[in-house]
Amino acid sequence: MRKLSRMTAATIVLVLLLSLIGCSSSADKKTHLTFQIWDVYQRPGMQAMCDAYTAKHPDVVIDVQATSWSEYWTKLEASAESNTMPDIFWMHTNQLLYYADFGMLADVTDLYDDVDPNYYEEHFTEISRSNASGSDGRLYGVPKDKDNGLLVYNKEMFDAADVSYPTDDWTWEDLADASQKIHDKTGKYGFMAYNDDQLGYWCFAYQAGGHILTADRTKAGYTNPGTVKGMEFYVNMQKEDWCPGQTYFAETAPGTAFFSEEGAMYLEGNWNLPQLMENYPEMRGKWDLAKLPKCADPIEDDESLDQDGRATISNGLCYSTAAHGKKRDIALDVIKYFGTEEAQRIQGENGAAIPAYIGCEESWRAAFDPYDEKLNLDIIFEQFDYAVQAIYNSASPKWKSLVLDELTNVYAGKQDLMTGLENMERIVNTETAKKLADQ
Amino acid sequence: MKKSLRRSYMMNKLLTYFFLILGAVIMIFPFVWMILTSFKTVPESMQIPPDILPKQVNLDNFKEAIASLPFGNLYLNTILMVFFRVICAVVFSSMAGYAFAKLKFRGKKLLFGIVLVQMSLPSQIFIIPQYQMVAKMGMANTIFALVFPGLVSAFGVFFLRQAYMSIPDEVGEAAYLDGCNQWQTFYKIMFPLTGTSVAALTIFTAVFAYGDLMWPLVVNSDLKMMTLSSGLSTLRGQFTTNFPVLMAGSLLAMLPMVVLYLIFQRQFVEGIAGTGGK
Amino acid sequence: MNKKLSAAAKREERWGWFMIAPTIIGLVVLNLWPFVQTLYSSFCEHLGFGHYKFIGLQNYKDMFGNTEFWKATWNTVYFCILTVPVGIALALLVALLLNAHVKFKGGFRTIFFLPLVCAPAAIAMVWRWIFNTEYGILNQILGGKIQWITDPKTAVLAVAIVSVWSSIGYDAVLLLAGLQNIPGTLYEASGLDGAGKVRQFFSITLPMVSPTLFSVLIMRLMASMKIYDLIYMMADETNPALTDMQSLMYLFYRSSFVAGDRGYGSAIVIWTVGLILLVTLVQFQGQKKWVTYDV
Repeated sequence: MRKLSRMTAATIVLVLLLSLIGCSSSADKKTHLTFQIWDVYQRPGMQAMCDAYTAKHPDVVIDVQATSWSEYWTKLEASAESNTMPDIFWMHTNQLLYYADFGMLADVTDLYDDVDPNYYEEHFTEISRSNASGSDGRLYGVPKDKDNGLLVYNKEMFDAADVSYPTDDWTWEDLADASQKIHDKTGKYGFMAYNDDQLGYWCFAYQAGGHILTADRTKAGYTNPGTVKGMEFYVNMQKEDWCPGQTYFAETAPGTAFFSEEGAMYLEGNWNLPQLMENYPEMRGKWDLAKLPKCADPIEDDESLDQDGRATISNGLCYSTAAHGKKRDIALDVIKYFGTEEAQRIQGENGAAIPAYIGCEESWRAAFDPYDEKLNLDIIFEQFDYAVQAIYNSASPKWKSLVLDELTNVYAGKQDLMTGLENMERIVNTETAKKLADQ
Repeated sequence: MKKSLRRSYMMNKLLTYFFLILGAVIMIFPFVWMILTSFKTVPESMQIPPDILPKQVNLDNFKEAIASLPFGNLYLNTILMVFFRVICAVVFSSMAGYAFAKLKFRGKKLLFGIVLVQMSLPSQIFIIPQYQMVAKMGMANTIFALVFPGLVSAFGVFFLRQAYMSIPDEVGEAAYLDGCNQWQTFYKIMFPLTGTSVAALTIFTAVFAYGDLMWPLVVNSDLKMMTLSSGLSTLRGQFTTNFPVLMAGSLLAMLPMVVLYLIFQRQFVEGIAGTGGK
Repeated sequence: MNKKLSAAAKREERWGWFMIAPTIIGLVVLNLWPFVQTLYSSFCEHLGFGHYKFIGLQNYKDMFGNTEFWKATWNTVYFCILTVPVGIALALLVALLLNAHVKFKGGFRTIFFLPLVCAPAAIAMVWRWIFNTEYGILNQILGGKIQWITDPKTAVLAVAIVSVWSSIGYDAVLLLAGLQNIPGTLYEASGLDGAGKVRQFFSITLPMVSPTLFSVLIMRLMASMKIYDLIYMMADETNPALTDMQSLMYLFYRSSFVAGDRGYGSAIVIWTVGLILLVTLVQFQGQKKWVTYDV
């Protein structure tokens, strides 16, 4: 029996030891908040904002945690169920409606009423506000940033093929011509059209006068003539000898191919630019940015945006907190600060993202100050004039991966494009109708 | 007669070496390629036909990997996680394995059924419920959270039960007649006889814990509380298909373990393959 | 039964319960209860955030009518065929070779066991790089343009190769331990009887190592039926061969975690677990025929 007690004692010690390690050292009397994000590169910017806040509120400590995209959502949903959400977190348009409509997010519509009842309208664009709105029209997050997709091109390859650089008036045909010439001259790829929505076919569908969802987000538009035109052009580019097939992109990301000088152009999101400058020092000065090419003859209809064949997709995140979080009031105060001009400017200056706050956008240019080689950043800000809000509705978490499967099958040659588009239309309409009926 | 025996012996030897060397080359090649790639620049790594050797020893990839991940923390967290999971697995599984193999009690079949069922359940389905348990305890982002799913090991029970079953019942009976109670029989007599199996369990509990990816990714999102595996996955998220940096990160993640293994490889292998079962 | 015996039996029973208590409590809380929830939710539609609506057998009907699901089932079975018999045979071969009298035995062992101490995330990355169609070293050596992980025909094979490569040392460790436990006297005795190497293998080695072999078999089979991590790390969402390589558990991951359709995902889990139990049951029945515990 003595042996037994020794064993029991050992077990108890073990358990104690484990729980000891478990306890974090939060013995001080400060309020500890966790701030969850999914982009490691934006961590310094977020940290700087938190530091600015805690400098004014020494009794608060904010811990910024970055995780990867897919785990972020697994974890956030699990924690929402058990009411253990992080105190502050980023919300993405793709998921916001799902969370907001379920009552998981704190309503922040009246957050700035003491400052200015029209605060949001005055300082954020309609797209930014719409990205943060639930189906009931209330705001469930403070707008954080905005972005868009642009054309990245390799100047040396254009020079080598004796093709002039992309201009503001470039059309789809110019894009294809340049790609062909570059491929013929250098043997490298031209425009690399990969399977992506925001940085791919969405842009081309809207440029061609089509739409993915109707303006009220209740119906899909994959088989709309304009959409079909855009999709045909986009998907069929992979059939050209100057564009790699989808099997290539599944193994080599377009960015990797571009920065190892295997291809001359691809579509990139502005949020990635600072890290690309940093990660590829030997490529600095060899590449630049251009506006997305436009569709010369869009097919217009009632849903078309009538933008002369131009479009880029713009998305924006927001800062949210849980509807029933334990430290809700302090968290609300923090995100209220995150929506101020001062905080948004800090975000921009640290190169995290283009601030959503109107008038602060250009502060993001500071992200490129460390480099002597300059990029044509102007085009990013100009593109906002005809940017289309990223396409989501409350059922998108469900249909997004199903639609991707259909398109993947098109790329793999398992079904033709029209069949694929009809399937996508059906999937989105079914899931959306289901979601609307549940509400 | 003797000559042909000798010749067949030689053939045997030759074949043995041939297969061993072939196998060894296949086993070692990915590591060599990892090392070579980690010194290359991205364009260099994508050359056709490939340059086998990097043009120069270029340490930029390592610098980038170190700048992206706090390797010191990752090593420490991984070691602590592995250590506690091994202790739990060995202690609890030995007890249960012995009971299931040698003791008679009601419900034994049913309860052992639970063990078998657990082994057939894919761990992915526990991630959400277990995460919620940890979150409710306020234990997310701790070492405890990393250890949590490994507090008990159904596989360990199954494996050690096999070990106890192969010990003849007479051994236990003799101890019992000598006046040992069940616990003493287990602790003093039987447990030491399973040394080989315990060593094996230790190693593959460690290997499994070391490789566990989904759980650490979900439960500990603070970069400082990650394990090597989840840290590497994060690195992949950042650098997508920039293989030279990924290879450098992988090497850094593996290096201490490989060095430890090389130093202790005799104990490591012989712990398992040793002359147990005396 | 007399009273005295039953008192001893009672004591034994209490000891039994006491010794299994930590394990059983842990398993029930950590695993069994979540599994019961999964079972229940397989009859439900997930409305979001853990709210379920009972819909009877609808998920199963959807599942059995879905070609993607049957494809995933086949992929899983195919993966098992590629990894279990082949993998274990190779591991046994390695163990036998290492058990023979060779020089540099330590060196060889070290090399074969090396993948054991490497993070699978790292292993998946290096193999992805080796398999790369354009720039991968494997295609450069073979002189072809095989799309290892993006061609539906080779994708499962590629994952199986990596799986066998990384587990061979692990299995060989266990088998070697089993081999070395065989008393040399058995071979000496049979040698005197004039038994050849091949006969010795089948009449002594195989029966003696069969309990270990059985453990390895069960373990490998279960791991292969549940294959998920390796596919997750080797394939991207946009891989055109994804549906041709995704296993049941990967399909579960995409249904439950990515699409949020946890009811449907749960039905996939139940099906997978059913398959595993079936295979395991067959193994445990079969073991009576070939596994020898006492010689």
